[in-house]
Amino acid sequence: MEAVLSAGARVERASIARRLILSPASVVFVLLLAELFWPVPGEAYPAYLLALTAAVELVYLVRLSLVRRDKGVAAAGDVAAIIFGILLAWHLCTTRFVLVDKMLFPKPEPVLRLFVSELPDMLKGLVNSLILLVSGYLIALGTAIPLGLLVGWRVRVFKAVHPFTKVLGPIPPIVYIPYAIALLPSFRAASIFVIFIGAFWPVFINTVNGVFNIHKGLLDSARVLSLSERTLLFRVILPGAMPSICTGATLGLVFALVLLTAAELIGANSGIGWYVKNFADFADYQRVVVGIIFISIVVTVITWGTERLERRLLRWRN
Amino acid sequence: MHEIALHNVTFSYGSQIVLEEINFTAYAGEFVCLLGPSGCGKSTLLRLLAGLGQPTSGRLTLDGSPITGPGLDRGVVFQDYSLFPWMTTGQNVILALNQAFPGKSKAEQAETAQAYLEMVGLSDVFDKLPGALSGGMRQRAAIARAFAINSPVLLMDEPFGALDAITRARLQDLLLQLWQHNSRERKTVFFVTHDVEEAILLANRVVVMGLNPGSVRGVFEVDIPRPRQRQDLYSDPAFTRLRDQLIRELNADVLQELDGGRTVQSAGEAI
Ligand SMILES: Nc1ncnc2c1ncn2[C@@H]1O[C@H](COP(=O)(O)OP(=O)(O)OP(=O)(O)O)[C@@H](O)[C@H]1O
Ligand SMILES: [Mg+2]
Repeated sequence: MEAVLSAGARVERASIARRLILSPASVVFVLLLAELFWPVPGEAYPAYLLALTAAVELVYLVRLSLVRRDKGVAAAGDVAAIIFGILLAWHLCTTRFVLVDKMLFPKPEPVLRLFVSELPDMLKGLVNSLILLVSGYLIALGTAIPLGLLVGWRVRVFKAVHPFTKVLGPIPPIVYIPYAIALLPSFRAASIFVIFIGAFWPVFINTVNGVFNIHKGLLDSARVLSLSERTLLFRVILPGAMPSICTGATLGLVFALVLLTAAELIGANSGIGWYVKNFADFADYQRVVVGIIFISIVVTVITWGTERLERRLLRWRN
Repeated sequence: MHEIALHNVTFSYGSQIVLEEINFTAYAGEFVCLLGPSGCGKSTLLRLLAGLGQPTSGRLTLDGSPITGPGLDRGVVFQDYSLFPWMTTGQNVILALNQAFPGKSKAEQAETAQAYLEMVGLSDVFDKLPGALSGGMRQRAAIARAFAINSPVLLMDEPFGALDAITRARLQDLLLQLWQHNSRERKTVFFVTHDVEEAILLANRVVVMGLNPGSVRGVFEVDIPRPRQRQDLYSDPAFTRLRDQLIRELNADVLQELDGGRTVQSAGEAI
């Protein structure tokens, strides 16, 4: 019995090893290492790039040992391969050969070095940005979800409100920015307002739709149980509309991020969007790229967090 | 006492008349089975009794007072699954118990819910989401929920349709047991089924409905003493007689429809 088991384990380990060696991630990883270790005249060894490459490979290997199923392994491998591929192409095009404009496309090694040294400043800017984002977004969720539930549930309110939502909903919120800046006392208030408007509509409209789309049989079930208004709202309507609310909240968050950055590009003196715009004005494209990378990491982390939250809220849907 | 009366009940969806001039009275404590072809309006009639809709014309009364909306005096088992998918099966039953018996403690509610789930043969689904149950299990959980509120009226829409023969027989016995349990306060039951034999096994009276528009074709008394034993039923001449009568009544509609079809077909052949 044991022998069979250990033999099975050995076969499994062997097949994992084979898959690992032959996987696209490993192939690109080796190519990238070769490229980085092969000296470029006039350049020091790219320590930061090597460290980043090693870190990505490490994360990939840890994931590989944790994830059992083939699907997860393949997905993690593809992501690693793409990251290695981008680094390889970037290094080839800017450092090994100079194939693209030197100023517009900075080399990876100094960008990474700069990223590390700029990190404290950028984190400070991030705090400012997040205050705006979180305030605007939470106000939007806090108003759009209750209003959406009310409007979706009360046919009469829906009929009264519907014409207005039809007209106001599709207005791109960016058009409010200049007016909001002029109208409101501070830049902070103006950006929070614009983020709020931008996130409000998708959340509101999806909440209303979510209530409409609750299966009629479930509402009948709730009615024959004579649930109180409160119970009905919190235990039936809200969870029933939750899938749609989550869709709206994700969309709203994307809008909020876009508007945050747009607002900062227009009127801020700190924050992550401002950082990029400020250095673009000075044609400091190294810092621009650093800022863009930083923003994408922040957005990735936020999206990852909200996806996990969504999966938790909608666990019942499998 | 819970007498349910329908006076000239007519119901239409838009211009389609679904139920026409239904007149029927279920006496307090009576077990009534509704038989009829698919689409004749059985579910619609049950919805009206549950208070989920109002008749286009006519009156439905419960002990003489008109039915204006749903109430906990009527437990309903719907034809399609009606558990809330975001609550565990146990929470679904507890929600109903909380409505019917708000005074009880949480522990008591959970215990009662588990007891009713066990009654329908579901002993380890309490913490499972409905999505993780089979169709028949979900249906049984919905039945447990309706039984748990212990209402004086039960409205059941093909509740055992999705179950295998053995489970179905067990639940039929359970239903009769709950119904007879206290003969002074018997429940009034409306039970929709497609199964003629099930109707005879369960009912005091069988209402046969017909199609286009849905209406009562006949009401049949089941003159077989209780408790009715399944194995004896088939050799009982009263049973066979009633069964043939019911099947003939049901088929009258279907034959008419098929005959209509055949006429058209032969006309086509003649061309
Ligand atoms: N929501 C609705 N809107 C319009 N028509 C409906 C609706 N619900 C039911 N109907 C129509 O009413 C008629 C009766 O439907 P009902 O569901 O009551 O039939 P049923 O006797 O329960 O059939 P089955 O045995 O198949 O369950 C059908 O013709 C159906 O098309
Ligand atoms: Mg039906």
